Amino acid sequence: MGCEVIEVQAVSKTYGKKKNIFTALRDVSFEIADGASVAIVGKSGSGKSTLMHVMSGLDKPEEGQIVIGGENILTFKPKQMDKFRSSEMSFIFQSFFVQGNESCYNNVSLPLEIANVPFRARKAKVERSLAAVELTEKRRSRARDLSGGQKQRLAIARAIVNEPKILFADEPTGNLDSATGEVVQDLLFRYNKENGTTLIVVTHDEDLAKRCDMQVYIKDGEIVKMTGAKS
Amino acid sequence: MKTIDIMRRAGRNLRQAKGRTFLTSLAIAVGAFTLTLSLAAGQGAREYADNLLKNNIDPRALFIVKDAKITSTSASSSLQEYSDDLGSSAATGRSVAIKMMTTDDIKKLEGRSDIEQVIPIYQLQAKYVTFQGVDKKYVAPITYFDSSTLVEASAGTVPALGVQIGDDEILVPQEFVDTLNMRAEELVGKKVTLIVTQSTATPTTDQITQAFMTGGDQAVKELLKPQTKEFSYMVRGVIKPSAMAITSNPRLHVSTNSAKAINDYANAGSAEGNKFFGVTALAKSDRNPETVKQAIQKDYGYTVQTAKDAQSLLFTFVNILQGIVAGFAMLALVASVFGIINTQYISVLERTSQIGLMKALGMRRRDIAKLFRYEAAWIGFIGGSLGVGLGLAVGWAANPVITKSLDLGDSSLLIFVWWQLAILIVALIIVAISAGWLPARKAARLDPIEALRTE
Repeated sequence: MGCEVIEVQAVSKTYGKKKNIFTALRDVSFEIADGASVAIVGKSGSGKSTLMHVMSGLDKPEEGQIVIGGENILTFKPKQMDKFRSSEMSFIFQSFFVQGNESCYNNVSLPLEIANVPFRARKAKVERSLAAVELTEKRRSRARDLSGGQKQRLAIARAIVNEPKILFADEPTGNLDSATGEVVQDLLFRYNKENGTTLIVVTHDEDLAKRCDMQVYIKDGEIVKMTGAKS
Repeated sequence: MKTIDIMRRAGRNLRQAKGRTFLTSLAIAVGAFTLTLSLAAGQGAREYADNLLKNNIDPRALFIVKDAKITSTSASSSLQEYSDDLGSSAATGRSVAIKMMTTDDIKKLEGRSDIEQVIPIYQLQAKYVTFQGVDKKYVAPITYFDSSTLVEASAGTVPALGVQIGDDEILVPQEFVDTLNMRAEELVGKKVTLIVTQSTATPTTDQITQAFMTGGDQAVKELLKPQTKEFSYMVRGVIKPSAMAITSNPRLHVSTNSAKAINDYANAGSAEGNKFFGVTALAKSDRNPETVKQAIQKDYGYTVQTAKDAQSLLFTFVNILQGIVAGFAMLALVASVFGIINTQYISVLERTSQIGLMKALGMRRRDIAKLFRYEAAWIGFIGGSLGVGLGLAVGWAANPVITKSLDLGDSSLLIFVWWQLAILIVALIIVAISAGWLPARKAARLDPIEALRTE
């Protein structure tokens, strides 16, 4: 692994056909250094979420390449893509998407099960992850009984449990008040610095964007400004 | 993702929607319950029939008839060619003429080396019957004692299987004793007299003329008046009604020799005299009844039924009844299949975001489909176990009552066979999985981006 540089090369993505055609991304190119934190900033409908989906291989653009660690992930077969996502990537969403009826422990354990981590190796990883977000006490509680901030911390625990190379965060503080939002941000950036995980944050929050090493501003599917990028 | 992990998650998902899971499995349970009981009742009926035949029919017994119509139920409606061995319809109580066995036919059978105890089926009739110590005259059906069936005595003695009663002995059914207002013990050793009428041959004109010449009117009347003869026997035993007996009307039983004597007297001179619609016989003990049957059918073209044939006839009946009940159970299962499809569809819709997340985390489509199929499998398992368990409970509670009310003696009507029930549960799981197929496919095909779009 080592140098997991992410290169977005001339990516274009459209939705719909003929008259109703809508261009979500138009010729987007940039490069992210290994272990960097990047903010993709834009208003809703600007194409920033589509960019995240394309970069994580959930969505396929019509044109362009996503090169991660020297490989164009868009050429991967579904099985290969699933394996790549389960071992290298992770996600945090605005509305948490924790499984309310499962215990915190089982929520965090899910990515390990998907990645076929042996049963015995799971416990230590889950415990370490829950400890990192200070939810060890809540191990047996159902996720639906947690507060919003706790839920997002649980989502972070789930996201980091399998030690991903790239962590996507889609408006991670969008549903939280500023105090709890702060805590979540701190957790994310601390993890980014300590483990060298590339952090890609999609947001419209300027303050959050400013904490990142690099900012990519998007409007109507096009990059309008890039700051902090290595030349 | 490992199968065991998927199964655990599927199980937990169901546990968290207890009410819904329970109600959905209840639909399957209804089918499972009905199937369990129909299986048990079928098994019980078959075992009962088996016992019945084992107790009543010597496995070597053969029932031989000349005309296949006697054993088949369909009557021929076409015009039939006359032949001398056709019996009148009155003799057989049927609306079709039946080929009867003649004395020659019976002699041929008696001459065979592979059968013994060839007994014609005598049609015995007495004008009336008297019992010693009772003034009244009675009408009673009479038959000869079949030594290949087992009977029990409520007083006196009855012979062991395969042993015929003495020629001066008679067996009286308990039901008759009740009518006589006597105790069974009192009747044993008493005399029973059968008054048998001879069906005389219609006299020829010459005979009538001659009688008129010699004795006038009186002599002609005498000639046309039926003759009667008394046959007296001593009561050896009283036959107890048995749950294991093949139901037949109670009858007086005389020995086969006595039966022959009565038959010969009653039919002397009449056309029916030495014709019988069949015989019973026993295959020699070192022969297989089935091979003997084939041989007789081949040699004479007779129709032969073995004890096994009688058994299969009863079994066919049981199987048909069981099939009808099972059919209704299948309908219940079909209804439950739609229940499962519906529930699982709703479940997929409810968990859209969860499915999207799992896909984003790299869960394979196949595994997501498995997750929902396993949930359906759990529903099938729970429903199946519930239904089978309920069936067992009902069987356990109802068996003594049924046995008592149907007078089955030691046997039970509902007999549960564990491997049948195990197969039933497995089959229900398979049914449930196939019901969950479409919803599982829908879940697997869900677009993760759509699924994860923030509401």
